[in-house]
Amino acid sequence: MLLSSAPASARLFVSELSVLFRRWRTWTMLAALAAVPVLIGLAVRFSPKGPPSGRGPAFLDQITHNGLFAGVVGLVVCTPLFLPLTVGVVAGDTIAGEANLGTLRYLLAAPAGRVRLLVVKYLASAVFCVAAALAVVVGGTLTGAVLFPLGQATLLSGDTISPGEAFGRLLLMAGYVTVSLLGLSAIGLFASTMTNVPVGAMAATIVLAVVSQVLDALDQLDWLHPWLFSDHWLSVADLLREPIAWGSFGENTLLQLGYIALFGALAYGRFTTKDVLA
Amino acid sequence: MKRIWTRWLPAAAVPAVIAVGVLAAGAAAVSPPPPATPEQVLGLVASHAARQFSGTVEEKADLGLPSIPSQALAPATKSATLGSEAALLELLTTAHTARVYADGPTKLRVQVMDQLAERDAIRNGNDAWTFDSKTNEVTHTTLPAGTGSEPSPTAKAPVMTPDQLAQRFLAAAGPSTNVTLGQSAPVAGHSAYALVLTPKTSGTLVSSVQIAVEAQTGLPLSVDVYAKGQKDPAFHSAFTKLDLGAPDASVFAFTPPAGATVKQQPAPTPKASAGTMPKSPSTASPKASAGTTPKSPESAPSWDTVLVVPAAKVPAGLLDQPLVKQLATPVAGGRLLSSSLVNILITDDGRVLAGAVPASTLLAKAAQ
Repeated sequence: MLLSSAPASARLFVSELSVLFRRWRTWTMLAALAAVPVLIGLAVRFSPKGPPSGRGPAFLDQITHNGLFAGVVGLVVCTPLFLPLTVGVVAGDTIAGEANLGTLRYLLAAPAGRVRLLVVKYLASAVFCVAAALAVVVGGTLTGAVLFPLGQATLLSGDTISPGEAFGRLLLMAGYVTVSLLGLSAIGLFASTMTNVPVGAMAATIVLAVVSQVLDALDQLDWLHPWLFSDHWLSVADLLREPIAWGSFGENTLLQLGYIALFGALAYGRFTTKDVLA
Repeated sequence: MKRIWTRWLPAAAVPAVIAVGVLAAGAAAVSPPPPATPEQVLGLVASHAARQFSGTVEEKADLGLPSIPSQALAPATKSATLGSEAALLELLTTAHTARVYADGPTKLRVQVMDQLAERDAIRNGNDAWTFDSKTNEVTHTTLPAGTGSEPSPTAKAPVMTPDQLAQRFLAAAGPSTNVTLGQSAPVAGHSAYALVLTPKTSGTLVSSVQIAVEAQTGLPLSVDVYAKGQKDPAFHSAFTKLDLGAPDASVFAFTPPAGATVKQQPAPTPKASAGTMPKSPSTASPKASAGTTPKSPESAPSWDTVLVVPAAKVPAGLLDQPLVKQLATPVAGGRLLSSSLVNILITDDGRVLAGAVPASTLLAKAAQ
């Protein structure tokens, strides 16, 4: 039923994207994300002493050798809180935001509207995940290029790669971070179908992201760790090993697909049985 | 909206599908190895020719020691006096994953994959390197030509391959050990024999050592050391992925990265036997070597050997160090660091006694 109305779905998707990216809120969040590596770069460049080796966020001392590492540090710093925060806001707003504004009824006027709307809403929030990760990368790359030399980059394994390859790895890391956030997006979509108050769905999503990371830090719960959607978030650094450790990329993708399937199905169950009054 | 409950069917089906998928992935079909006697398997290991492989090794210890958060240990790891102890404690209380590449006797690379960090040990011909991404420190040792041994684990890269570990245990499996074959089980998708070494003496904390041996090549794939009175292995080292092809040669090439601190280290003197301590206190403090005693029973002639370090070779003030004070409980005549597999006693007169034996044996020996 999606295929039969492909042009209509595409139109809906395009209009969803334009609504999302015409919002001040979206651009403010992206700008805030891009500002993180900028601030880090400025702090490293203008601090009287060089960054201490082995302290502070990982890779901080690498920035002075290769500016691209500003983007790497930015991604690592943003992964635990800032990125989930922005994704939670966007994903939590998907359905509940329309319900709150009273526009949900009109969106559902078309036949087979609910499933299509869910899919389109989810895809739009996935596009935001890409944009969020890229915002950090762009902010980091520009800062690094302006403030630092773009020389050889040292990997975690001690091997050295060219600036071009380093940029490729940075883009791969952005891809990894995007994938990492897709599961959380699905959770946000489900939370958004549960309520008509967008702030509630946003808060629930963000709290879950924090709870998952707290559980991940408790050694006593190590049997649970492989099932937590945040378990592989910081394994993004596996892309900075030589040769690249693809294992965590694959495991992370499978895990996120599982979360998308589960919470997508839950959102379907909830949204298609819900009375839409607003 | 009739039959509304059917809309929830997908949500119920997804967990079921995931469960089936997880179970199916766990049950990989590997044919069991052909029947053999323990002697044949020992011969297979002794003559094993798989010097080329690349794989992932998982190592974990469950010694009944308190788990110390790595954040708490991090400052200690940087300190000059406590660095090796802290690194060792980290090895004994947390799990590690490492990638191992080997090509012949003189090419080996071990990458310990920590979160957002990595420690490397590389042996390429006569050059031995270590690299620590957290401190950006490189050490370089030029080994004398013809040295066949692989780089021993250091505080920087404290992981041994199951191969290295198993060879040590088997070298010591003399008349004091019963060797049998256990239930064979595949390891890392390879069919494997299970050798079980059981100490004949009852005076040791080691209940048994199980070594999985790859059925075709004889490469040891996993080592599990079981302590008495503990169901889970006290020490576990196993391949989780293994490829028996030659790794790419570029893996072994190492050039110190720009900006790294490079320290030249003298080539190690021929391997010290279990009873003697390293001469130079700068390369290894007695605590560090005492801590390697989980692996010392195999190099000692019997399982219940007690290693005694005379006070003259122990740096003064070991008892006053905070880490020792925190972990070792006071006993009559000294402090005891007790675990399910190894006990270490630091006596008040400065000696260090260690062994895979009950604490009472150490105390009795100290009183002699």
